[in-house]
Amino acid sequence: MAAPTQPDSAIGGSARKRDGAALLTGRAVFVDDHQPTGMLHAQVVRSTVAHGRILSVDTAAAEAAPGVRLVLTGRRAAESAGPVPYFIDPAARGGNRTDIRCLQVDEVVYVGQPVAAVVAETRRQALDAAALVAVEYEVLPHVLDAEEAMLPDAPRLYPEWPGNVVMHNRYGTGDTDAALAAADVVVSGELRIGRSTTSPIEPRGYLASWNAAEGKLTVHASCQNPHQMRWMLATSLGLDEGDIRIVTAKVGGSFGLKMQGHPEETLVALLSILTGAPVKWIEDRRETLMAGARQQVHRFTVGAMADGRIVALVDDIVADVGALTAQAGWAMPNMSATTLPSGYLVPDCRIGLDIVVTNKPPVNAARGFGKDAAHFVMERAVDIVAHELGLDPAEVRRRNFIPADRFPHRTSTGLNIDSGDFVGLLDKVLDEVGYAGIRARQGGLRHRGRYLGVGLGFELTPESSDSPGTFVSGFDTTTVRMSVTGMVTVLTGVTSPGGGNDTGIAQIVATELGVPMEWVELVQGDTDRCPNGFGNFSGRSMVVGGGSATLAARDVRDKLALLGSRMLDVPVDRVEVADGVVRVVDDHSRALAVPDVARALLTRAFAVADGIEPVLESTRAYKPGNIDHVPDEFGRIQPYPTYSSSLHAAVVDVDVETGKVVLLDYVMAHDCGTMINPALVEGQARGAVAMGLGSALSEQLVFGEDGTLLSDRFKTYLLPRAGDVPELRMVHQVTPSPFTMHGNKGAGEAGVGGAQAAVANAVEDALAALGVRVRGVPLTPPAVLALIDEAAAR
Amino acid sequence: MTPRYSAPRDLVGVTAALADGDGVVVGGGTMVVPDMTHGRTRAAALVDLSRAGLAGVTAGADGVVVGAMTTYTDLVEAGVPLLSSVATGITGGPQIRNRGTAGGSACYANPASDVPACLVALDARMRLASAGGKREVPAAGFFLGGFRTARRPDEVLAEVVLPQLGNALLGYVKFKLAESSWPIVTAATVAVPGTALRVVVGGAAAVPVVVAVDRPSAGSGDPAWRDHVREAVHTALDAAEPWSDVLAPAAYRRRIAPAIAARSAAHALEEDR
Ligand SMILES: Cc1cc2nc3c(=O)[nH]c(=O)nc-3n(C[C@H](O)[C@H](O)[C@H](O)COP(=O)(O)OP(=O)(O)OC[C@H]3O[C@@H](n4cnc5c(N)ncnc54)[C@H](O)[C@@H]3O)c2cc1C
Repeated sequence: MAAPTQPDSAIGGSARKRDGAALLTGRAVFVDDHQPTGMLHAQVVRSTVAHGRILSVDTAAAEAAPGVRLVLTGRRAAESAGPVPYFIDPAARGGNRTDIRCLQVDEVVYVGQPVAAVVAETRRQALDAAALVAVEYEVLPHVLDAEEAMLPDAPRLYPEWPGNVVMHNRYGTGDTDAALAAADVVVSGELRIGRSTTSPIEPRGYLASWNAAEGKLTVHASCQNPHQMRWMLATSLGLDEGDIRIVTAKVGGSFGLKMQGHPEETLVALLSILTGAPVKWIEDRRETLMAGARQQVHRFTVGAMADGRIVALVDDIVADVGALTAQAGWAMPNMSATTLPSGYLVPDCRIGLDIVVTNKPPVNAARGFGKDAAHFVMERAVDIVAHELGLDPAEVRRRNFIPADRFPHRTSTGLNIDSGDFVGLLDKVLDEVGYAGIRARQGGLRHRGRYLGVGLGFELTPESSDSPGTFVSGFDTTTVRMSVTGMVTVLTGVTSPGGGNDTGIAQIVATELGVPMEWVELVQGDTDRCPNGFGNFSGRSMVVGGGSATLAARDVRDKLALLGSRMLDVPVDRVEVADGVVRVVDDHSRALAVPDVARALLTRAFAVADGIEPVLESTRAYKPGNIDHVPDEFGRIQPYPTYSSSLHAAVVDVDVETGKVVLLDYVMAHDCGTMINPALVEGQARGAVAMGLGSALSEQLVFGEDGTLLSDRFKTYLLPRAGDVPELRMVHQVTPSPFTMHGNKGAGEAGVGGAQAAVANAVEDALAALGVRVRGVPLTPPAVLALIDEAAAR
Repeated sequence: MTPRYSAPRDLVGVTAALADGDGVVVGGGTMVVPDMTHGRTRAAALVDLSRAGLAGVTAGADGVVVGAMTTYTDLVEAGVPLLSSVATGITGGPQIRNRGTAGGSACYANPASDVPACLVALDARMRLASAGGKREVPAAGFFLGGFRTARRPDEVLAEVVLPQLGNALLGYVKFKLAESSWPIVTAATVAVPGTALRVVVGGAAAVPVVVAVDRPSAGSGDPAWRDHVREAVHTALDAAEPWSDVLAPAAYRRRIAPAIAARSAAHALEEDR
């Protein structure tokens, strides 16, 4: 943490979000705020059947409706646009693929799949006309459950595939059979993780403006990855990348959902090209809620010795990804498998994974990126081992954690954990939550009919991933440019979904450059202005955006120092740049204002800067260490530079008459290495925990038997509100990463799986006397009551 | 198609506008407007009550008269028995409490809502008006099923009359899955001294269900009394049409209804106040 004398703008200070005032006063400009002259509105006509062949699309009535400019069918769209390229192509990983279209041509595979689009002068007209598009289907049998989809006679989503499995993979090393045979206890279980979603406050939306005269396309998008989107549109629409500009400046939350690859991205651009006018499409909340974030079934077996040491882990995962998408979401379950051994010394692991398609809307990328499922399952397994051995769950964790002096440590699944102190986190969280005191109070409360439980959840969060040959990139690029007046413009390839990395990067640049933070302007999310980059995902923005900004800022600082030293007539190693001046290290009275040095270089280059290239600008890329794509003897690669860690403790009170779980207290002990801005880290962590708590207790996407989404509003898809969540208390531990610029690790994803696990373990702890065994999330009141009844019936 | 719109200045104007039977009444609009936005309600004519002078709470000889346009916020301020405390707990917060009305909620007749069972518990009388005249329907006869009431399409709910309660004690408990959820099961208890408790359970069936419950002799935690409540509630529910929605199946509602009923009785008897 920052020393108290440091300004908030220094690295480690909690500078306020730079756009906070604009956001709070409604002055921030989001995609829906753009209203170019002549703008039209698009509406998507979506499939009403879960699986079917499109027999006909009758557009006559819609075309005749007031204000309608265009009604586009899948067939016509396919004449002008090719398939949407994959963010991560399953074929490149040995899996099955299918062409993803912006509008379906022949078949639909889920309720809600785009089949046609209407463009009209107003949104209302587009909505009304969309209802007039008559699509006739030959209804085909559908399957909504992944395990049913794996049966030999199940309906097939993609007839050209051998089944409904995108890919089957195995992970882990060692001899699990021998280890299980030698174990003192062997426990097994089945866990189901329900389908929940991300729910950003701003839904997706795109505004495409085709300039026919220049042959140029500009797209304002609520999207995380502008450069990838530019490439994708160039590919699907057959345009030159240089003729496309993507602007994603303000995004109202995305959580992975707004990674590029959605059909509407190509669609809206195509609609603009075909109508020759700007076309806007803003998603309705009902459409946003179709996107899934996770849904998995795990069947696991764990072997442990009498002292609690876990010696073997076997898990078979069935991941339901809905229909296939070009977005990155289908690939998340891979991370569920590779993260499974977590921060524990589990020598032998054997994990099988089937990624399965079903007739539901796609699972899209979501905070946690599959790692959340690993933590939920592993943390449940640890608690079950503890229960079986009669040991305290905290103690079993302590005995299994990778010791702090054993890093870097390579797990059985191949991840090379950079650093950490997991026992340290455990001690902090137990102390902060008052673990011993809760244990002491439980018995007495139980006699009075109260079911109090405490649960722990450890989370290891691999971050800043790199996947070779894809747009999942482990590096990024930043330009730092100083003007003749000394003002600094930072143009970076990472984008901000609203979490505040712009503030963090400005802090880094101000600190490295030695100028006040107010001099620093940040430009993100504009492919015409920013260097080639990859946007935000995988907790990468401060690691690679911050890292590349550091390198570029240091270049500019060095140039200022060099010229400044010459103007001050001292050797360069006797000057420093700080507080907006170039000064002599041991005589601060001899100083030149940075703007004066900048002006000297840029206006008197021949007079004062002999031999110095007169440019105050640098573009640098930063590649963190610890990424290794050369497969080892077991074929494992190491795609993550940093591993954040956290330990969560939840205290719950369960109402055994209704099954309702009330959260009484929550503590997260968090270690993301050096914190560039602790307030922003905490903001991210609280959001992730709230997301985990929601998916643990109340959030659940429910589908009817016909595949229609029933929980399509916030009165039926229950996000946690302030009254559902106690104050989320944070404790920090700082174990710097040896592999990143400032020792920082990814921060922003950690919390989803830890929260799910801590709550599930707390509920089981609360109901231990009743013999309840938790089997999944969400633990809604009906689900908890069913568990109580089931235990009573045993 | 844009519906015809009128905002009559008095009750006569309202009933005239509804006479054709094809009008949709707009009270506070908190349900009907979103329903139109999403295409769930299509109206030929909209009759907006906001200017018809139907808001307000007055105390009369035969009880408290609550105008149909009285908002939840008005109810809180007027201190109407039971309804005012219910109004403070409406999930939608100030926006919904400032616009939503108890009359609108009654006419909407969502089984998963607070107002219907409360009106039945209070023995309310629903005053309906049409061009043909006025009539009064007891709340217990007003709710016919999920989203179905005794109101005819040409009628407007003008007022709700709440009879004097004397020195009865009142209790109310609402159970939700989470803060944002619709009520799942509610129970309103009216405890008139010297008589059995009258508990009206909402959300557990398609209409509010009235249950007569003996007073607990050994506290509401007494297992024997709990058994009695369970039996009484289940018997009453057996005779009613079950209710399910996406949040909770009928079996769950039935399962927890006795506990909610018992808590509401305890609340009325001030055990846990
Ligand atoms: C975010 C949110 C949270 C909510 N939380 C709760 C909650 O916690 N508990 C709860 O019980 N409810 C809750 N509600 C529902 C709320 O109680 C109702 O929306 C409100 O009471 C309806 O009143 P209104 O005047 O707005 O009705 P409107 O929307 O105007 O009308 C509803 C229906 O009744 C008809 N109607 C209205 N007034 C009359 C009348 N005088 N005569 C004849 N017909 C009429 C309309 O035609 C329509 O069919 C919530 C609603 C929202 C949007």
